[in-house]
Amino acid sequence: MTSTDSPLESLTGALIEANDQLLALYELAKVSTSSLDVHASVGEILSRAKRLLDAESMLLFAEDGLILGEESDVASAGDRSIDDVRGGTTRTLTASTTASVQASNSSGLQATLIARRADRPFGTADHKLLSAVANMALGALHTSRLHQEAVDQAVVSRDHDTASELAVGALPKWRPDVPGFDLFARSDPARSAGGDLFTFAYVEEVLHFVVGDVSGKGLPAAMMMTNVISAAMAAFQTVGTSGPAAVVSAIDSWVYEYLSDAGLFVTLVGGSFDPASGVLRLANAGHSPVLFVRDGSADLVDASVPPIGVLPFEMLGEDALTESVYETTPGDRLIVSSDGFTEQENPSGEMLGDDEFARLICEDPGPTDDLGSRLFTMLERHADTAEQSDDRTLLILGVSATPKATDS
Amino acid sequence: MQITTFPHPAEEAIELKLTGRFDAHESEIFRIALTDALGNGNHHIRVNLANVEFVDSTALAELVRGMKRCREARGDLTLVSPSDPVRVILELTKLDAAFSIV
Repeated sequence: MTSTDSPLESLTGALIEANDQLLALYELAKVSTSSLDVHASVGEILSRAKRLLDAESMLLFAEDGLILGEESDVASAGDRSIDDVRGGTTRTLTASTTASVQASNSSGLQATLIARRADRPFGTADHKLLSAVANMALGALHTSRLHQEAVDQAVVSRDHDTASELAVGALPKWRPDVPGFDLFARSDPARSAGGDLFTFAYVEEVLHFVVGDVSGKGLPAAMMMTNVISAAMAAFQTVGTSGPAAVVSAIDSWVYEYLSDAGLFVTLVGGSFDPASGVLRLANAGHSPVLFVRDGSADLVDASVPPIGVLPFEMLGEDALTESVYETTPGDRLIVSSDGFTEQENPSGEMLGDDEFARLICEDPGPTDDLGSRLFTMLERHADTAEQSDDRTLLILGVSATPKATDS
Repeated sequence: MQITTFPHPAEEAIELKLTGRFDAHESEIFRIALTDALGNGNHHIRVNLANVEFVDSTALAELVRGMKRCREARGDLTLVSPSDPVRVILELTKLDAAFSIV
């Protein structure tokens, strides 16, 4: 009888064991891993698994040295390595009461689960369940790390956005409301911030302004841009009355090394306009295009020195940076844009180009603001579905009234 | 952009011959090619721009950076035969006053 009962008992035992495993897996699956804290989520899985397997302790060792489990188990592991723990238990317990299970996933993440019992060994079925536990815990670890990466990226992204807002905030929002001229100024960065810049100040009834383009793109260029704006605002106040060449030279002396060390340069045109006399003065350090428009014809205002940051101005000679001076009359315009305007491509890869840009400017005698807005609209139409390749900046100074008489 | 590097036969210089668009997307490969050339101890670099159809400000900054590296090592970076579009940009930005151009 015993010989015939034995296979049946074995089969029954195996079925019960299999059923127990299914129940255990079901119990484990109910463990809530809603927490994204790795200690909480993995700790909860291992805590439940300990009770199901009647284990004395259960720890998950991640590759980077992180040890996870119930708080008391982690505390008892202390600073010991996985080999210390494995070896330590072997010294005090029989090998079969300690189980070590490896787990890995498709992302290459690996961990080792070590469980131990005080009184009885782990069987084959226990090892299968431990393997399932190890994989569940590894999954929770992976999810938590992905979440942390997403949080880290969000923090970096938020910091980047904040820095970009600060950089863009350096561009003046106000426009001078002074008889004698109209000013249109707008800058659209290709990314959240860029290296294009303009700024102006109205000092002692003279308008001072600069327009520039820091080489490179994005936040690094934007950070340099804010420095150039600060330098320009200081230069307007300190040497503005000496003219734009003095302003551009002062900016060069303050930011040259900063730019040079960073391997960057800034093309910069400085200008001053006196509404009383109608005199417009310009000093150009490598910026293009700068156009003076009169009676439907555009003259290119040449650069006299390379951009700031290429060579120290003193190396170029004392008088290298020269000024272009214009005695303006009503209807005259100064147009300064950045290369992101003229180099914008359409979907066929054709750039807007200097000639087309000059043609658009010359054929439009309307108000300054209207011309500025229309040029941006036309540029967007030209780009169509093509990506904005660079920052777009446009400053238009329109002479709107006869200069006031200074003598009676 | 393609870069071909070879020793210049008449001078003790390394020549980088560039072909295509030289813009922000290509500045990294130029920097690597230049670093490789300088790594061989030769600080006289010729950058042939005859077949470059476009340069943007990032590319110009890369050339300026290269020029400074060479000059700091008592060498130079010479621009060779810039194409018409490149020459126009060098003139407009007055960078033709900063570079040695042949």
